[in-house]
Amino acid sequence: MGSEDSQSFGVFSQIRGEHPVSIADLDEYARRQWEGVLGYMVGTSALSGQRDINLSKGVKQLLQAGHLVEIRDRRVDITKDGFGFVLQDVNTQVWHILILYVESAEAIGMDSVEVLSFLFLLSSLELGQSYEKKYLSSVQLRTLADLADFGIVYQETPEATRFYPTRLATTLTSDSSALGSTVGSSLTGPAGQPGTSGTGAGFIVIETNYRLYAYTSSPLQISLISLFTTLKYRFPNLVTGKVTRQSVRRAIDMGITADQIISYLHTHAHPQLRKHNAAHATSNTSSIPPSVLPPTVTDQIRLWQLERDRLRATAGFLFKDFTSLQEYQAPCQYAAEIGVLVWKSDRKRMFFVMRHEQVAAFLRSKK
Amino acid sequence: MPRAVRGLLIECDPSIKAMILKYDEERHDYIVEDLDDENHLVIKESQLENLKARLDHDLDEKIMQLDESESE
Repeated sequence: MGSEDSQSFGVFSQIRGEHPVSIADLDEYARRQWEGVLGYMVGTSALSGQRDINLSKGVKQLLQAGHLVEIRDRRVDITKDGFGFVLQDVNTQVWHILILYVESAEAIGMDSVEVLSFLFLLSSLELGQSYEKKYLSSVQLRTLADLADFGIVYQETPEATRFYPTRLATTLTSDSSALGSTVGSSLTGPAGQPGTSGTGAGFIVIETNYRLYAYTSSPLQISLISLFTTLKYRFPNLVTGKVTRQSVRRAIDMGITADQIISYLHTHAHPQLRKHNAAHATSNTSSIPPSVLPPTVTDQIRLWQLERDRLRATAGFLFKDFTSLQEYQAPCQYAAEIGVLVWKSDRKRMFFVMRHEQVAAFLRSKK
Repeated sequence: MPRAVRGLLIECDPSIKAMILKYDEERHDYIVEDLDDENHLVIKESQLENLKARLDHDLDEKIMQLDESESE
């Protein structure tokens, strides 16, 4: 590859446009596009009647190729992987998408190395600056157009001579909280209204009695919360509900894990919750790191998941009917040595292995 | 003469094992080998999903649900 030094970190556009795009505009664009992608996955855009973000075919194909959604009878169905994806914080999501993009690049005839180097270039750009497109290769221009659909970069028109990185791009290699707070909070703002950033990241309060209050009106966030919560009341800027055994079981049946739920709650915990628990932690001198969420709730969510897995199954082979203890001991020891032994009973002269080929060969060789 | 039998090794609580043993009494169609300790047994590979569904169903019925009430 080896692009020249002067181009490694992008080239500023020298043209000072009559309509410079402000950082707020870029944030709003990134928010709208990204929420559009997530909304497409969970199917909220149709429900809420908000202005449908026009997703390109490339975006939809990428989500499908990554097994985040499946198309059945022309309907979009989110997969288990997809559920896990939507519950992650934005930065993790962006990385996930970009990795998928690089992986699928070869399939659509692009050099993945070139795509990757472009992504690194993107992450080093400066927010609010515009960059020249003419130094980019044709593969990179194509990548640029695809990333614009996700809201990672912005260009006024596809034919424009310059592009702007959005916050989704510029915080790729920086601390996740920077991105989480800005896009996260603007995602929660009223749909269609410019992101009301600066108010902090979280909007979810969960109490020790499993009651959940979410200060949001975003149809996307509400439908995410409803995945694992029994919602009860909905107000203009607040929904309330309760995390119950039933609602968590329902989520787990859909393929969401307890850890995903907990990490979602953690990512979006209300500042008040953080403050309260931080203060609580400093007052008692224990060395346990302060947990933002009530421990009773996180423990219980994990226990509800464990309830589902009451038995652990291992496929394999049971060796039995050994005539003497000596005959039993040698292959059993051999199985342990090669690391396939799962269970054994000296008394019953039986043992269970994951794979039988080597042990069977060992037995034959002993004869 | 030693033999090898294909199957699934199940690890579970004694209570769950008791339930599996009870299911097997009906038609002897689950268990390959009862391993005679508290929490292990070998079952037929094809029966795992069936067994899990049955356990979930029965346990849901038996375990009291305290937290589902909508009252304060």
